[in-house]
Amino acid sequence: MIRVEGIHKYFGTLHVLRGISLNVAKGEAVVVIGPSGSGKSTLLRCINLLVEPDEGRVFIEDTQVNRPEVRREWVREQVGMVFQSFNLFTHLTAMQNVMLGLTQVKGIPKDEAAAKARQLLARVGLAVKENSYPAELSGGQQQRVAIARALAMDPKAMLFDEPTSALDPEYIREVLDVMTALAREGMTMIVVTHEMGFASNVASRILFVDAGVVIEEGTPEEVFHHPKQERTRSFVGKILR
Amino acid sequence: MAKRVPWDRETRWRRLDTLLAAVIVLGVLAYMYELMVGSRGLDPVYIAANYGLYVTAVTVNLYMTTVAYAVGMTAGFFLGWLRTIRSVPIKKVVHDFRAFADTSSRSKFVLSGALGLTVAWAGLKYLVRRLGDAYVEIIRGTPLFVQILFAWSILVVNFPGLFTNPTSVAFSAGLLALTANTAGYQAEIFRAGLQTVHSGQVEAARALGFSRLGAMRHIVLPQALRLIVPPLTNEYIGLFKASTLVFILGVQTEITFVANRNAFAGHIFEIFAIVTAIFLLITVVLAKVIQALESRFRIPGLGIQQTRAERPRARPLRLPEAPTP
Repeated sequence: MIRVEGIHKYFGTLHVLRGISLNVAKGEAVVVIGPSGSGKSTLLRCINLLVEPDEGRVFIEDTQVNRPEVRREWVREQVGMVFQSFNLFTHLTAMQNVMLGLTQVKGIPKDEAAAKARQLLARVGLAVKENSYPAELSGGQQQRVAIARALAMDPKAMLFDEPTSALDPEYIREVLDVMTALAREGMTMIVVTHEMGFASNVASRILFVDAGVVIEEGTPEEVFHHPKQERTRSFVGKILR
Repeated sequence: MAKRVPWDRETRWRRLDTLLAAVIVLGVLAYMYELMVGSRGLDPVYIAANYGLYVTAVTVNLYMTTVAYAVGMTAGFFLGWLRTIRSVPIKKVVHDFRAFADTSSRSKFVLSGALGLTVAWAGLKYLVRRLGDAYVEIIRGTPLFVQILFAWSILVVNFPGLFTNPTSVAFSAGLLALTANTAGYQAEIFRAGLQTVHSGQVEAARALGFSRLGAMRHIVLPQALRLIVPPLTNEYIGLFKASTLVFILGVQTEITFVANRNAFAGHIFEIFAIVTAIFLLITVVLAKVIQALESRFRIPGLGIQQTRAERPRARPLRLPEAPTP
């Protein structure tokens, strides 16, 4: 479904990604962990080409997408993204946030888009909040709207960039529940998170990334409880307690 | 129809605010009157007989200002947008080209041509941006008075055959100068607005599949516009008042009459009083309308919270939330 081959990314002189490869099968949920600044977010952004990798290849369903002749907008329609800071459109209600991509990017008629938006908001448990503006919602609610907004585009896969790190502890659960349900329904997901409970329950694989390279890869059991690398061990030791 | 909400404390304060503002304005006007006119008094007969002339003259200003402002807004938006982008991604251009050349089976001749065009395009964009910078600095750095004379000179010297009579030259030159002037100022207002919208908003839009233009139109601009309504209003009012300067070209505005001392000798204070009253009326009404629009379209939760009383709206019943799936 998603394949990344040896990508490198430089920000100026900073070598952020140093040849990362990754293969995610359809319906798989892969969790990426690693210290801050290790390139996890950049890796996600390279997949939907919000950041253009300097070297290497990105495939979505066996189509290499980081070629100049591939429309970036098309690539991003295939892969939904959820951000750490939600990034809901502040001037639009929850409902309008979900609808905007449908009506303006996909060109779906308004009433159809509204029906779909209602259905998606109900799915994330926010049917009663459709007329609220982002500022009137809690962090957890905003993030669930953001998930609904990404799902509205019918993506083939979803990228989650630390979706719960900006949330108060009381709201983390509700967002993780939505994500868990999504994974159970067979959505292909790549999740950058430090929620170890979620990772253990949902992830088919864990990727430990440090300094722009994949240090270790395996099932949650392997990575969390029997790490092979010393660096993995010390990192996991810090976050698992 | 919205149900009439009984006055709560907030609303009462708001009414008091308005009243107080009116009292202050009237007080200042009274003081100005006392200082400048005093016991001499104004001639009501002259005012009654002549105010129509000045109203007509002000409509010329209003018309010029509005046209210049609208055209200047379009130009200013694009100029401001252009100025938000500072660097030319030469590295990216070369990289994209290299990737293209690697995967492409086209001949060397075609490829070198494509490279030439790409670099020329990047260079052109760079040049246009620097020209934009220069334009804004020139407009901001020189007096409007000079700009008006300059516009007039351009039309007279370079397009002598275009105009049939001096009045149309004067009008066109005035319009040109005002448009060029406001475009420069509005460019900076737009730049500020566009740069204030959080970059995460653009990123989210791009991640949904919006093009650069689509993200600008549906996400950035609607937010930026709300932020820059006050400075844009300011610019309109400023331009409106500055538009009186076109009298130097002989466009018939109220100041033309003021300047024409021979015809209006002895009534200079009446004329100033009329003009002041007309300008004050127009700008106050305009400001109030914009203020109403502003609170109508304001983004909830942005900036200092205004009172709820100003924007009553139907809220859905707060039901207990459905359990998440």
